[in-house]
Amino acid sequence: MADDAVMEINETDTDAAVLRIYEVGYHITPSAKEEDLEKIVASIRSVIESAGGGPSSGGKASFIAEGAPSLTKLAYPIMVRVGDKSIEYDRGYFGWIKFESAIAVARSLEASLKQNQNIFRSIVFRTVREDTRAKMKAPQLREVKRTDTIHKAPRRVEESSAPISEEQLEKAIQDITAE
Amino acid sequence: MSNNILTQNDIQHVDYKDVDLLKQFVNPHGRIMGRKKSGLTAKQQRAVEAAIKRARFMGLLPFIQK
Repeated sequence: MADDAVMEINETDTDAAVLRIYEVGYHITPSAKEEDLEKIVASIRSVIESAGGGPSSGGKASFIAEGAPSLTKLAYPIMVRVGDKSIEYDRGYFGWIKFESAIAVARSLEASLKQNQNIFRSIVFRTVREDTRAKMKAPQLREVKRTDTIHKAPRRVEESSAPISEEQLEKAIQDITAE
Repeated sequence: MSNNILTQNDIQHVDYKDVDLLKQFVNPHGRIMGRKKSGLTAKQQRAVEAAIKRARFMGLLPFIQK
């Protein structure tokens, strides 16, 4: 029994045998066409698969969850230097993939994402298998009693819509001018 | 009885993509609230901090808000 436990520890000590849960988040450049997004995501998936699927590595990469890239406005402009020029991005197609793989796969994925011209920012980190998205609803804004709205209250009914006669008018004018 | 947002809503994991949730733990300048203000446990506070920093790096949250 004790020997078995030691064996297990030894096995998990080697990098290749350990499968861990990772998540990768990435921003695809907004200049990429909508049709090409799938291709770019497929290239990321292939890196995970090809690096982890080898029999020598002992582990097989498997995908757990994925978020399709969608155009997102950035909280601040991200500058990326390409050769001599620096490009500023204020939006990007943000997507993510959660997967299980060996440690080496995560490392090689990180390196390949940095090389990828279509991706201007990426992150790879360890996470858990469970869904981490909060299921809470966005807090409802406090209901504010608006005072500037115009209610459709019945307007003052026009007094005496009947046509005013000449005499009445004259009398009224005289009343005003007499004061 | 702790009275923080995470416990109230039974949130076990904090995800950096939940920007609306994380925004409740930063002040109008974009700085992370202290534990006194956020009311989180030490474990939760660490998770929130890590998530906010990831979100900042990915451009989902600002580093500073002018």
